[in-house]
Amino acid sequence: MQEVLIIRSVSFQQLDKNIKAIREKYRNCRISLLTHEHGVKLAEKYKNIYRVYVYPYQGSFSYGKPVKELENRDFDTVIIPVTNISGAGFSNVCLFALTIKAKKYVICNMVSDLREISRAGVFAVVAKNAVISVLASLFTVLIGVVVLPILPLLLRSLEKRM
Amino acid sequence: MDKPLVSVVILCWNRKEDVREGLLRLQQQTYPNIEVIVSDNCSTDGTIEMIENEFPYVQLIKMSENIGIEAYNFGFKKAGGEYIVILDDDSFPGEDAIANMVDKFRQDEKLGVAAFDVRNYFDYDDIRNEDRNPGDSGAAAARDYLMSFNGAGAGIRRDVLERAGYYPEEFFLYWNEQDTAFRILDAGYKIEFFPDIISYHKYSPKNRESWRAPFYFTRNAFWLVWKNYPAGMAVRITLRLIRDCIYYSMEQKTFIYIKAMMAAFRDAGKLKGKRKPVSRYIAENLRTPFNFSFMFYK
Repeated sequence: MQEVLIIRSVSFQQLDKNIKAIREKYRNCRISLLTHEHGVKLAEKYKNIYRVYVYPYQGSFSYGKPVKELENRDFDTVIIPVTNISGAGFSNVCLFALTIKAKKYVICNMVSDLREISRAGVFAVVAKNAVISVLASLFTVLIGVVVLPILPLLLRSLEKRM
Repeated sequence: MDKPLVSVVILCWNRKEDVREGLLRLQQQTYPNIEVIVSDNCSTDGTIEMIENEFPYVQLIKMSENIGIEAYNFGFKKAGGEYIVILDDDSFPGEDAIANMVDKFRQDEKLGVAAFDVRNYFDYDDIRNEDRNPGDSGAAAARDYLMSFNGAGAGIRRDVLERAGYYPEEFFLYWNEQDTAFRILDAGYKIEFFPDIISYHKYSPKNRESWRAPFYFTRNAFWLVWKNYPAGMAVRITLRLIRDCIYYSMEQKTFIYIKAMMAAFRDAGKLKGKRKPVSRYIAENLRTPFNFSFMFYK
């Protein structure tokens, strides 16, 4: 039986919608779910979810924080739900997905369109975003020169007088 | 009193059919002692007339214009219940949700907010209630961090809300629950998720198609930080948010994040007298997903 893993990178409200389309597409597959700790009990409510894995960190899914429990697992498909149409802003989750061994990686967008992504494609987006990230950091430094001196004053001016 | 009064507070704006369904569903609650308060943000689609004609027992508060989430505060002020249930105009609690919620509050006097499991209404047949072990509170707690709640389904102790303060009216839309969560946690109360208290929400991601969602989400993220975080953290996170605004503007080819950032600075005066930093523990541990890109439709 084929093994599918969904990375719970969106709200359960959206996942409720996505999971219907995913089940439709992967009818005879065993579907598991990876979620943050607080989502485990909510994830366990889904019928026919074979297993719920825990992402044992507080922050977003990160390439630098792989899940040890999944290190020796092989999946046929890893699915990455995204909250918009294009998947923009989810390159970190796509990159994280590559820490999990799978034959295919698939993005499921907010209207439940499923689109396969390649490892090379993910790395290309990550490379492009790295350039953007450098530029954004440079601009932030420039803005920071202006903002840093005024921010403590701004915060003080907003304080509640007891 | 065995069955303390529970005030259900709903905010609505031009969602006549959804409000009708929500109010009908509330009639099916197994809990007997409920008052229903609807704050209407100046609907023009007949919502007000429908409520007055079909649900005369509902306490209707009419705004003269759409004032966003501030309208909730009028409902909170009117609420006479020991507990308040917060709902959206397109959400409603499961039949036994309020009864379960009251049980949770009675079992734990430090429980400030019982966060409902807010699920997608259109697929609710697919979601079964889990079987719980006797003695299990059912709370879906995380060991290492604190959680906020979802305004489409949550119960709050009225006295705690009054002490912590109502929703931040200057926010208009988004992050109001998180801001309130900071203050409730700082007052020494807990916020817990309960998978056996369900609320159904007519989740429609296409509602986010307009500029409003990313704009308010981004602007209010800055304000949330400035209101609640200790100074050092606030400066550090502000720089990160500025970087994110620039990054996502380039990545998604839009100026909405930059506009929102500029609005945050330009209108910061609206926060005057409202900054009250929470403890470092809460600031570091309340899970606050600042990812702006989540709100962008394209």
